[in-house]
Amino acid sequence: MTRGYHDIGGNAAGAIPIVELPWLQWEKQVEAIRNLLGDGTRRMMSLDELRRGFESFGEDKYKKLSFYRRRIEAMIDVLIEKEVFTREELDAAIADARARWETPVPCQP
Amino acid sequence: MSDQEHTHDHAHSHDHAHDGHEPLVVEDEAGNIEGQILVDALQTLLVERGLVFPGEVRREIERIEAPGVHLGAKIVARAWVDDDFRTRLLADGKSAVAELGIGVGEAQLIVVANDADTHNFVCCTLCSCYPRSILGQPPAWYISKAYRARAVREPRAVLEEFGLVLPDGVRVLVHDSNADMRYLVLPQRPKGSEGLGEDQLAGLITRDCMIGVSVVGPVA
Amino acid sequence: MIPRFDAGDRVLVLDLGKSGHVRTPFYVRRHSGVVLHRCGAFLNPEDLAIGNVAGPVVPLYRVGFAMTDLWKDYRGLPADMLCIELYDHWLNPVEAAVRAD
Repeated sequence: MTRGYHDIGGNAAGAIPIVELPWLQWEKQVEAIRNLLGDGTRRMMSLDELRRGFESFGEDKYKKLSFYRRRIEAMIDVLIEKEVFTREELDAAIADARARWETPVPCQP
Repeated sequence: MSDQEHTHDHAHSHDHAHDGHEPLVVEDEAGNIEGQILVDALQTLLVERGLVFPGEVRREIERIEAPGVHLGAKIVARAWVDDDFRTRLLADGKSAVAELGIGVGEAQLIVVANDADTHNFVCCTLCSCYPRSILGQPPAWYISKAYRARAVREPRAVLEEFGLVLPDGVRVLVHDSNADMRYLVLPQRPKGSEGLGEDQLAGLITRDCMIGVSVVGPVA
Repeated sequence: MIPRFDAGDRVLVLDLGKSGHVRTPFYVRRHSGVVLHRCGAFLNPEDLAIGNVAGPVVPLYRVGFAMTDLWKDYRGLPADMLCIELYDHWLNPVEAAVRAD
């Protein structure tokens, strides 16, 4: 079976969801970081490496994640594979980021 | 979209009849917060390791926010008023748009022209390739599963969903943007626009006309 | 690598059975089409996907397929066409004898 789950050209599908959605801050950050990692100075991750990431992380995950979630999850997988950081280091950074997000910041007068 | 709906979508991913709409997978509020936490964590690690400088992500966001439909519209309007430019544009898109000060970051730009006999439109079945440096980010429907799956198989039905019914005898060319080229549709100049200047013409041109799911309507 | 094909050549898309990241969608495999033009040469995405940037570069072509050939139940005009980019190693020449049918 060499047909990937992302290779959907010609499949039956319902009506096109003709909607316009805003481009969110975190989505912009994902795209910006992807560009920086792939730029001429860093050359750390090509677009094809990123695609390989979300084409191989499993169909269930692919189908339930949004476009930008797929991209960041794939980016993280590739960076861990390249030993830029470990899963444990990422988990610690996520815990820190979550704490920053969840700690209410009082308004300054 | 809630987790519950995720499960629902997945269970019915082949059952496209139940509400007539293929679900567009988007994050709900919790998912967006999770995405923000994840990308913040990643950014922190990359800055810590000196791979990305503080402030660089912000600057890159500003850079990718800058391109938009106005650039594509400028290209099309110039092609409508300048036949020599049009010829150069169709021969080598990237070089021609550089004359207008527009840089194409993608490998190459192929401009496909609509005429009385031919209607072009663009999709990407494998992911969601799109000429971001001249049209900005793709619309949500462009990255939807339904558009990616159906555009190459039933282009006329897809166009009809966008409200576009082609005149009899007009052939359709579908461009699957699958590798190193990116595509821009050069729409036909509308009837009644003869007296308009380049800037006014640019104002008539929408994103959807340059993807090819719409055409530029006649000028009243 | 010297491009093997030029505009007007009839080509058959191979089904190479490769696993991993490839850019030749399933729906054009085993179908024949006509080269529209040469796009130049590019690093192979199958190499790039695993971090190999050593090359070689591969010629890329835009190839057109009759919709009625891709989809037996196609509803539209016989002139409707699908245009897509394909790398050299996914293509074989179509012989004149095959061209007759």
